[in-house]
Amino acid sequence: MTSRAAIEARGLRKTYASNRGVFRREKVERAALRGVDLSIAGGELFGLLGPNGAGKTTMVKIFTTLLLPSSGTATVLGLDAVKDQWTLRRRIGFVFGGERGLYWRLSGLDNLRYFADLYRVPPDVAERRIKELLERLGLAGRERDRVELYSRGMKQRLHLARGLLNDPEVLFLDEPTIGLDPVGARELRVIVRELADAGKTIFLTTHYMFEADAICDRIAVIKSGEIVAEGTPSSIKKAVRDQGVVEFEAVGLPPDRLAGLRGLPGVSSVSVNERELAQLVTVQCTRPADVMTQLGVILDGVRLEKVSSREPTLEDAYVQLIGDESS
Amino acid sequence: MRSLARAALGSFRLAVRLRVVSPWSYLNWLVFPLLFAAVGLYVLGGRGATSSHLVYGVLGGGLIGYWSVAYIDAGNGIQDERWNGTLEQIFATPTPLVVILLGKVLAGLAFGLLSFLPTAALAYFGFHAVLPDLDPWPFVISLAVLTFSFFCIAITLAPLFALWRWAFSMLNGFELGVYVLCGFMFPVAVLASWAQGVAGALAPTWAVRALYASTLSGGPHDYALWWGAVAGLSLAYLVGAYFLYALVEREARVSGELALA
Amino acid sequence: MRRLAAEARVFARSTWLQYVALFQWATVRGYFAYKVLLPITQILFFVELGVYATGRQNALYFALGNALQLTANAGIFGVIATVANERQFGTLPLLLASPANRLVTFLSRAAVNVMDGIVTVVVGLGIAIVLFGLDLHHANLALLGVCVVVISVTTAGLGLMFGSIGLVMRDAIIIANVIYYVMLIICGINFPVSRLPVVLQIVSYSLPLTRGVEAARQAAAGASLGHVSGLLAGEVLVGVLWALGGYLVFRALEGWARHGGLQEAY
Repeated sequence: MTSRAAIEARGLRKTYASNRGVFRREKVERAALRGVDLSIAGGELFGLLGPNGAGKTTMVKIFTTLLLPSSGTATVLGLDAVKDQWTLRRRIGFVFGGERGLYWRLSGLDNLRYFADLYRVPPDVAERRIKELLERLGLAGRERDRVELYSRGMKQRLHLARGLLNDPEVLFLDEPTIGLDPVGARELRVIVRELADAGKTIFLTTHYMFEADAICDRIAVIKSGEIVAEGTPSSIKKAVRDQGVVEFEAVGLPPDRLAGLRGLPGVSSVSVNERELAQLVTVQCTRPADVMTQLGVILDGVRLEKVSSREPTLEDAYVQLIGDESS
Repeated sequence: MRSLARAALGSFRLAVRLRVVSPWSYLNWLVFPLLFAAVGLYVLGGRGATSSHLVYGVLGGGLIGYWSVAYIDAGNGIQDERWNGTLEQIFATPTPLVVILLGKVLAGLAFGLLSFLPTAALAYFGFHAVLPDLDPWPFVISLAVLTFSFFCIAITLAPLFALWRWAFSMLNGFELGVYVLCGFMFPVAVLASWAQGVAGALAPTWAVRALYASTLSGGPHDYALWWGAVAGLSLAYLVGAYFLYALVEREARVSGELALA
Repeated sequence: MRRLAAEARVFARSTWLQYVALFQWATVRGYFAYKVLLPITQILFFVELGVYATGRQNALYFALGNALQLTANAGIFGVIATVANERQFGTLPLLLASPANRLVTFLSRAAVNVMDGIVTVVVGLGIAIVLFGLDLHHANLALLGVCVVVISVTTAGLGLMFGSIGLVMRDAIIIANVIYYVMLIICGINFPVSRLPVVLQIVSYSLPLTRGVEAARQAAAGASLGHVSGLLAGEVLVGVLWALGGYLVFRALEGWARHGGLQEAY
């Protein structure tokens, strides 16, 4: 790892403005980023975690020069993402993934050759690199097939190949495993880790905590446009060390009883997961034993099952950082 | 510089390939020009028709097809990418959007030129209509000048349509009005004088006038004046385009709406 | 009787919803571009072309033909677009799974486009009269109005046929576009049908619009209902046959699509 920051954000803010209404147009503003500070060293595999709408994609788009911030600075490789976009675009790659973003009526090879031209890669270098990428990403032999015939996983790997055509020093991956089957997702994570080990700086966004835990060197958690935690996976887990978790299943739990539970001393969050026949309730608290004692009092009359307490996982840490959730 | 030229060529090749495999593109350069040519030839070739009438039947369908491809296919160069979901990907490359569009527009125009083939064939085989007084060199130069005007218009329309979607709807609604004002199937001289004034502000009008003049023995042949008018007006459109591209770049990066179809 | 009233209520509600859905996409600008600008410029183009080719005395011939053809725009294009939109927005499977009376649902699709067609031709003809100073003093206006209504209904019948095909074909709108312009050539809009090759004449008379346009031209010249009743009856018959064919195709394809799940395909 090198010492100079490869990716840096200082006081980064982005507010989207839109118009609402047909006859009387009113301007509506939505703050996607509210003053983000981040510093990522060269060669790091950095994960940005957060729920949908937290600002992950906004941040990636600013770093990849697609979006202008409302205020603050964003630099990549020492270059300003606002002013130095033409130089910066040659040295970075990005993968947004998903079904779109490829010319589906054409072959994978045609897609890669075209983007190699747009990234201004010399033709002889492009041909060699395309061949290597097809081999490495398991697309060799299928490159002449139309993209519309590719599986979801293959399309994602083609996206990754496209993002690596210019051999970027920094790679941005926005939710690269979303929609992939477990095997495909794992394969992709292995490739991403290999790229980081080879010296590339990788900025990855995801809302899968286990994914970040599995491959990232450092993680930040973003909620409503603000960073709420930052560090290595183990340091974040340590932050919730004093926390415990009480879990139980309840049948027909009234909402007012939940309020009583939330009001107990030491309880930091209560989340409810609706299952078919019962609700799974997860209580994050400092004194699990006290909470278990109080359960019978607060939830008198409600049928409780499978009451247990355990140590917090990284997922629990994430839930605690993001806040109460009912799903 | 060489890498930019390669990028434009890559864009040209991709656009050609996409047009070959897309059924819609055949509508614009083949089917609709033929249908319009057929109507035109029937109307213009009725009782009492003169050879000067028929000339408009021979070339009119091709001109209509050429214009349709120029403004629908080529003019939608940016919107196309947005609908395909690839606009963000190409926008964030080190190649400026206008270079990418250069290749796309040229590909579009190449297909548009093809419109002349089936329509001329229909005129000849179906109606025995020809261009008896054709003067080849002025004809070829006028066609080249027309191509230049369509190129400038398409390059200007691309950012216009990307910024303001309603502009495409308006031009779509006004499509046959363009045929009238540019004199595709009958001379602009038959219009009211105020309409002729409006027509004169459109670069293609002068190119089309020169084109038809090169197929007719009678009437004025002020080629230098007409070609000059086309060049001047087309360059004015390009100046406008320069500002529009800067606006698109800025707007796209402020709103982040490149991904939205 | 009660059953009839219930069906009528369904029809009315369905038609209203179609109307709202149809113009949901249309902004004020979009409506202006496609419902005002497009009709005016089509009439303008063909009248000027016709006048250049055949003389100013024939301006009404071209104006009337093209104004009437505009109602076909709504009838054909509008109906196909309505069904195609249902396919695109994914409401088609929902419809096909519902217990709604098929005939009522089927016809409600056309009803709103018929009304739209009538409005379009009235506006188009009005503008042509003003722009070209056309003289309709000798015209049988009431009969002309009847012809307009008849043509709107019969072209919607054609639209229903191709709309049904739109159940299984992804690009039914392309068909709509092509048919619209083919009718410009073969339905006597800009030149008499007798100038076409015989084969095309047969096709012409098997389509709606052809007889209706002839009847309308005669009405514009002052003919009475008796003179054109044969033409109008023929026009109605052709329209009904296309609509009936469309309904049968609709039911047949519905069954076939259910077997193959085709309506999910896009």
